[in-house]
Amino acid sequence: MSESKTMMEKISESTRSLTTGVDTRDVEHWVTIYIMGRGYSVPADLTIMTAMEFAGYKLIRSCGCRQGFCGACATIFRREGQYKLESALACQTRVEDGMCLVQIPFSPAEAAYYDIAAESYDYSVFSKHYPEVARCVSCNTCTKACPQDLEVMDYIQSAIKGDFESLAEQSFDCIQCGLCALRCPAEIVQYNVGHLGRRMFGRYGSPEPEHLKTRLAEMERGEFSSVLDALVGASTEKLKELYAARVRESDE
Amino acid sequence: MSEVKYIGGYPEHMRQSIEIVNRSRARRKDAVPAAMSAEQREETLQVHPDYAPGGKRELKIGPNKGDPVPVPVADLLESYPLIDETEIDLSVADHEVDVMIIGGGLAGTAAALLAQDQGVEREKILLINKLRHGDCNSIMAEGGTQAADRPIDPPDRHFLDTIGGGHYANKPEVVRALVEDAPLVMHWLEELGVVFDKRDNGDYVENWGGGTSARRMHSCRDYTGLEEFRVLRDEFRARRIPSIEHSPAIELTTDESGRVTGAVLYNLETGAYQVVSAKATVLATGGFGRLHIRGFPTTNHYGATADGLVLAYRAGAKLRDADTVQYHPTGAAYPVQIVGFLLTEKLRSAGAQPINKDGEAFVFPLEPRDVEASAIIRECYVRENGITTPSGLRGVWLDTPLIDAIHGEGYIDRAFPAMKRMYARFDIDITVDPVLIFPTLHYQNGGVETDPDGATNIEGLWVAGEVSGGIHGKNRLMGNSTLGTMVFGRRAGAAAAAYVKSADAGERTFRHVEQFVELLKGAGVDSSRRAPMLLPEYRGKASLARMIDVW
Amino acid sequence: MTSEQTSTTRAAPDTGSPKRTRLPYYPGCTLKTTGKGLEDSALAVAETLGVELVELPRWNCCGVVTSLTDDDLMRHIAPIRNMVRVQEVSDAGLVDDKRVVTLCSMCFNALKWSNARIVGDAEDLKSLNDFMYLEEDYRGDAEVVHFLEILKELDPEAIAEQVKTPLGELNVAPYYGCTLLRPKSIGIDDPEDPTIQQELLEIMGATVIDNPYKTVCCGSYQTVQDKYAVAELTHGILSHARAAGAEAVTTFCPLCAFNLDNRQREVLEKHPDFEPMPVFYFTQLMAVAFGLNPKCCRFDLNHTDPRPLLRGKGLMKEGA
Ligand SMILES: Cc1cc2nc3c(=O)[nH]c(=O)nc-3n(C[C@H](O)[C@H](O)[C@H](O)COP(=O)(O)OP(=O)(O)OC[C@H]3O[C@@H](n4cnc5c(N)ncnc54)[C@H](O)[C@@H]3O)c2cc1C
Ligand code: SF4
Ligand code: SF4
Ligand code: FES
Repeated sequence: MSESKTMMEKISESTRSLTTGVDTRDVEHWVTIYIMGRGYSVPADLTIMTAMEFAGYKLIRSCGCRQGFCGACATIFRREGQYKLESALACQTRVEDGMCLVQIPFSPAEAAYYDIAAESYDYSVFSKHYPEVARCVSCNTCTKACPQDLEVMDYIQSAIKGDFESLAEQSFDCIQCGLCALRCPAEIVQYNVGHLGRRMFGRYGSPEPEHLKTRLAEMERGEFSSVLDALVGASTEKLKELYAARVRESDE
Repeated sequence: MSEVKYIGGYPEHMRQSIEIVNRSRARRKDAVPAAMSAEQREETLQVHPDYAPGGKRELKIGPNKGDPVPVPVADLLESYPLIDETEIDLSVADHEVDVMIIGGGLAGTAAALLAQDQGVEREKILLINKLRHGDCNSIMAEGGTQAADRPIDPPDRHFLDTIGGGHYANKPEVVRALVEDAPLVMHWLEELGVVFDKRDNGDYVENWGGGTSARRMHSCRDYTGLEEFRVLRDEFRARRIPSIEHSPAIELTTDESGRVTGAVLYNLETGAYQVVSAKATVLATGGFGRLHIRGFPTTNHYGATADGLVLAYRAGAKLRDADTVQYHPTGAAYPVQIVGFLLTEKLRSAGAQPINKDGEAFVFPLEPRDVEASAIIRECYVRENGITTPSGLRGVWLDTPLIDAIHGEGYIDRAFPAMKRMYARFDIDITVDPVLIFPTLHYQNGGVETDPDGATNIEGLWVAGEVSGGIHGKNRLMGNSTLGTMVFGRRAGAAAAAYVKSADAGERTFRHVEQFVELLKGAGVDSSRRAPMLLPEYRGKASLARMIDVW
Repeated sequence: MTSEQTSTTRAAPDTGSPKRTRLPYYPGCTLKTTGKGLEDSALAVAETLGVELVELPRWNCCGVVTSLTDDDLMRHIAPIRNMVRVQEVSDAGLVDDKRVVTLCSMCFNALKWSNARIVGDAEDLKSLNDFMYLEEDYRGDAEVVHFLEILKELDPEAIAEQVKTPLGELNVAPYYGCTLLRPKSIGIDDPEDPTIQQELLEIMGATVIDNPYKTVCCGSYQTVQDKYAVAELTHGILSHARAAGAEAVTTFCPLCAFNLDNRQREVLEKHPDFEPMPVFYFTQLMAVAFGLNPKCCRFDLNHTDPRPLLRGKGLMKEGA
């Protein structure tokens, strides 16, 4: 018993820097990064996000899921001696010595005001809500900026062609970080265009399955009411019995 | 400034252990350890963070006085408010609305949409977000959403799976609502344009989930939550429903009778407060992974800090099943940048085995989540067979290359693209080398008790999503959580909309807070303990030590 | 995926050539949307003639009007990126020719003009290649042709052989507009008096009505700014064709087609006595002459329905 207690202590000890902030004593390797131009010495194995926290920033903007899903942590940086302006997700990118960076706290862009049920399922939905897609010069800057490695230019071209299925496929992993839109010389807000197209494809291009409609109709008729009534009223003993007797759907 | 030497993403000493794992793979391929007996499971569970002593304590005050909850949760529930009531002028409301929703995950966003559908004017709805609308657990769900919608899978099957999985502690009438509304939720999402995985004939691709007796898991690649959530948010934005970001609710207000009548918000950037008057309040603040219960890393988003529980408990709301916490057996343990991140259960279903430092399989890969997690902890800390990372964490290997060895080359590329991408960012190729794992804090099983419409024991207060308790009993099944957020978000939004038709804006006071503070004092609680937490503290110790406040 | 040309598939003609020529094909955005009638009919016609048009993978917008500016290298990225695609399919052996076929005269113009300009300036070519560093360098040896040029290369006999329904009584005025002909350096025919459509129409047995308005500008993008100004041009072009005896006009450009066809609505507003006139994509008429399934013509997308005219001339079955 006392053994497991010390074990829990050991675990929290080992994760201390992750759960409570890094203690300098634990650090062996250091790099220097420049946060908005000011240099900080930070542990070499941190992400841009945790390095900023180490340096003393309490993140309010540019930090959400911390795991590469929400797109809050868009960051642009230059490596020492490089002309290229790179972009990354702060929560997914390890710091490098000499990196000079700034986070993008917000990217202004208005999403379309529309009622999906009232839109027509063809390319005109894009020219109606985002006519600027026609301005794309195919420079591919958006693709270079995308931290999810999506072919952003290609999905914008799919929108121009009215090819909803390709657009949905190509833009699916977009986390709406905003980096592409900030770099686009044609001022296109790619992620909004992509989202409009995906929703249109979801509703019109990939319709509701028949088996779902059937189930909804059964529900409407109240077909399962009595069996559910019985389950809600059942004793724990009875439920255990029924649970044990369930037959697993065959694996085909 | 020396550099760490990495070979294929791993430092040298870990690489040595990997070589052993790679060598034993062929031998292990067909020799999977047997599943545990009931006694073995019982014994293994002794090291589970929920069972290991010292993790919980009984609440001293409030509606759940005497109930055990994890210590960090108890500490927050038994805390003094962040604000000094005398500094806040409640008489002037900055926003006067009918329905206020606190927390914009799947649950809160669904509630806002349904409130409008049910007749509340757009400008009379207000969604409050701690950070951005979208920094939430919902956006991170990978695996899927359950809904019984095929002939072979009637809703009663879903009911039994759920209640058995929850160890019969679930609230039956709430589970009923969950399974009955599931097809409706799917229909709703279809109409809103969610792109679900479908077969060529148009049927859903439906998969197994732990503890289900039928294929019932609907997915959108391994970005299910992202797709569901962004569609709801886009709809919310397209309808121009008002919302406020970066301004968490830090206290509720109540009237004479104890009814919830609004909230105080705190602008994280300017430090200014705002007062909201609301006829009805829907609390949808999500879970508490960022409390790092028992020191565990977590899969949860930055703001998962139990604020909703704290606010509601102070206002007198009753909790249930708040003692159990779900730890996912396979969180990432290396590299340090991704520690705690979820590695889906599907990896083990596909054949990946947990392996110790000597290249041996030590546990049946598909034990229930709590047992599997315990076996991994035991291997690392009792049997000392774990691998220690440069940052001092211990873990065991999850032998991902075995998946391709079983199913043929290219299988991982097709089935786990997101995971492959994540590791590739750190130069690790999961088709060639195993990944290091350790259990991670995943889900808050219990929370504020509700009826099937999300109503609580407090007038004017509805609750939906991970902050609620009763749906999952003592243990949640995968896929029931995203479902629950939408079922009860919708129901709570609609119920609140119905309520405000005949309700007036109530008086705003801090009476409940004052009463709670009296209880805290009576129980001798240290007055430096403050809540809600809002955000965890990750700043470096050295810089914190030198911080001064000059304004 | 939804292209209807599959339903019009016929056996390739036995023209003696054992292997079909595979040419890279650039469709352009309009042909995937409003200009479906041009694409589907042209693909069906090409197939009938044993020409295989292989759609470029990952093609992007041609760059369109923007190529008319010459001080802005950025504007040439789009067309040149398409030329990289041509080079790719050619290098990969997926096509037999380095000449990419265009159907839309606007795309033809944008691509060819840009290609000529950039290939002719090594420095600019290098700048663009540097900018597009994720792509393979464009070597500058791909070319842009228009489908009409491919048709002209074919043996007239072979085309004539495919004519199942000679256009006989149909009086057609070919319309060229600007982009197939100008500037002279890239045009496919004499900019003052082009005849390339006439020659082909004659093979199909049509009565060709020549008139000087065939090269008058349709108003192009002015149609967005001032539709009535464009309607006046349309009125002029079509009235002159009518006066010369034409019952219909042909074009290869979706924008010309839009201005000549859809703007007849505005023409009627201003000139109530105007008699509407069908506007054909050239390949629609070819498909009719070849007796292909009329579905590939997508006449449903034409503004002024040409079917009554075709039926009246016995060129289309009742009900089709
Ligand atoms: C990595 C991961 C994978 C998962 N996979 C699955 C899965 O496959 N299937 C499944 O069903 N479930 C899964 N879950 C669980 C599921 O995603 C969540 O339980 C569920 O989405 C919670 O939704 P919610 O709306 O209740 O809370 P959240 O989505 O967390 O939203 C709560 C919101 O409230 C805000 N908030 C908190 N406090 C305040 C405050 N004081 N004021 C204002 N706003 C506040 C938060 O910032 C947040 O935006 C997963 C969870 C995680 C973390
Ligand atoms: S950055 Fe803008 S202009 Fe350039 S390719 Fe992308 S969408 Fe087109
Ligand atoms: S497409 Fe744009 S918004 Fe989406 S992830 Fe890529 S860069 Fe970010
Ligand atoms: S914080 Fe969400 S993607 Fe980085």
